[in-house]
Amino acid sequence: MKSSERFKSYFPWIIIIAVIILLPIIIPSPYVISMMVFVALYGVLAIGMGILMGQAGLFSLVQPTWFGLGAYVAGILAVRGILPAWIGIIVGAAFVAVISYIIGAPVLRLRGLYLACATFGILIIAQIAFVQLGDITGGHSGLLGIPPLSIGGFVFQTDVHYYFLCWALCIACLWFSSNVINSRLGRAIKSSRDSEVASKTLGVNIPKYRLQIFILTSVMAGLAGGIFCFYLRLIAPSCFGFALLVEIMLMVVIGGIGSLWGLLLGSFVITWLSEFVHMYLGKLLPVMTGEVDAIFFGILVILVLIFMPRGLAGWVEQLFHLGKRIYEHFRRKLSLA
Amino acid sequence: MSGITSGSIYAIVGICWSIIFLVARILNFTTGEFVMLGGMLTWVFLSLELGLAPAIILAIVGTVIIGIILERLAIRPVRYPTEITYMVITIAAAVVIKGIILVTCGFETRLIEPFIATGPIHFLGASLTPQAVFVIGTLVIITIGLSLFFNRTLFGKALRATAINPDAARLVGIRIGTLKVFCFGLAGGLGAIAGIIIAPITFIGHGIGFMSGLKGLVVAIAGGWSITGTVLAGLALGLAEGFFAGFISPGWKDALALLIMIVFLVAKTISFSPRAKKESL
Repeated sequence: MKSSERFKSYFPWIIIIAVIILLPIIIPSPYVISMMVFVALYGVLAIGMGILMGQAGLFSLVQPTWFGLGAYVAGILAVRGILPAWIGIIVGAAFVAVISYIIGAPVLRLRGLYLACATFGILIIAQIAFVQLGDITGGHSGLLGIPPLSIGGFVFQTDVHYYFLCWALCIACLWFSSNVINSRLGRAIKSSRDSEVASKTLGVNIPKYRLQIFILTSVMAGLAGGIFCFYLRLIAPSCFGFALLVEIMLMVVIGGIGSLWGLLLGSFVITWLSEFVHMYLGKLLPVMTGEVDAIFFGILVILVLIFMPRGLAGWVEQLFHLGKRIYEHFRRKLSLA
Repeated sequence: MSGITSGSIYAIVGICWSIIFLVARILNFTTGEFVMLGGMLTWVFLSLELGLAPAIILAIVGTVIIGIILERLAIRPVRYPTEITYMVITIAAAVVIKGIILVTCGFETRLIEPFIATGPIHFLGASLTPQAVFVIGTLVIITIGLSLFFNRTLFGKALRATAINPDAARLVGIRIGTLKVFCFGLAGGLGAIAGIIIAPITFIGHGIGFMSGLKGLVVAIAGGWSITGTVLAGLALGLAEGFFAGFISPGWKDALALLIMIVFLVAKTISFSPRAKKESL
């Protein structure tokens, strides 16, 4: 009984890991592989934002900034040849942790909309800073000439190498977050989301736990950013701005904030959808496809929030329950007959 | 003087934010796009050879209608309304409006001719363009008009009552739904006016809505969501930005406003006496 239950809880993990390992063998096209790299990287961001929104009730819009900060620190260290690339990623993540501590400590005192405004402000300030610190970051035109990632003697060159690296990070983040949610920290932030007064009364140190979860999600985004810069070999401030925020918000909205798997699903759906929209609308309206995508996604967000407020995962869950009820209904009828 | 001019614009945009926030509890991120719409629609109607006055009136009416459509189509039908849902929806709507303007009007920046073609006016040692006088005058008229409206008319009083306590307002027979539509229309109109009067001074294009909208938010927060506070904060921000751009660095100018907003928000949460602690933040 117990071992079968344990197997049940591992079951989705086994399936998803199997799919990830088999995918490059079944579909060896570099196009699909490179898309899946982005699915994994944006998935990490969506997981971070989803945990903050869904579990902690903190509406933080600053996730793309941590992604960008991690990417810039790792990229600059590698371009200048100061540190080996893989150490650069770790240094970048540590830097993100320090900055997110400095910013999070005052800003996390805010609630709801005000937190959203403040974090949105930080996002735009970071955007300006990436452009203005042109001597270090390369300004508008971006940071060029990032060498490929190498660990020891092994150089990551093909898309498949990055594919496995990114999905390893993504699965690790997913596993880590699902454990965090069920840990002491996770229970504390959930209780503070549901009733701040009650959890304060029970002696939960809310600011401390909020800061912890904020820093954890930032570090996840920072690591993803570090890999992102070595994969693209070129980063520009516009990669980490408002457009990325809208995309990630869309992933969270589509995936639904309730479950971690939904967030990954959201990242998958949105990354592929934006590619298709880009391809097909690009044929219809040859000019300015990026902005046309934005119209489409904006309308999609509004429709999803109005008609599917719990996101795709919630919708699938509803369908599942409906199916289960119909099944039960018929089974009872049969057993009665 | 350009500090005061841009400060007036921030103040008008800030008033748009606070009207909607106070009555409907929605942070409307399309406010900046209303400004952009005002300017761009004027340009569109001017290029149709309609003449200045009809173009301005049509642009304002058009933006009001877009604001009302936004409320009816995107805000009203939400089934599980939370502040966050509304905020995400308005951000999405802003992206949509910007995209549509970009596709229909092109990405070039446009310039509208100044309304009165005379040379700069010299006043107390500072030189003023007529358009700047126009902007400041509009701010004065809007401020006085709105405070008369909110304090002297029944409808304005109903709006204030709704802002203070929506449930009680509903109990005494105020139709909150109508008021919300009215607020979106009003904010659309004011935003459009701001966009139209600033258009001859700065260039206007599809991208101007974002920053001017954010500055409005900064000013509304710093001014504590009241008209007087917003106007004062707007002028102060305009001047501060002017000095900052002149003496320190023009590139970091926009970061200054956002930093002010964050400092204001955080400073509000620090309470020195436990009794004055606000739950609403």
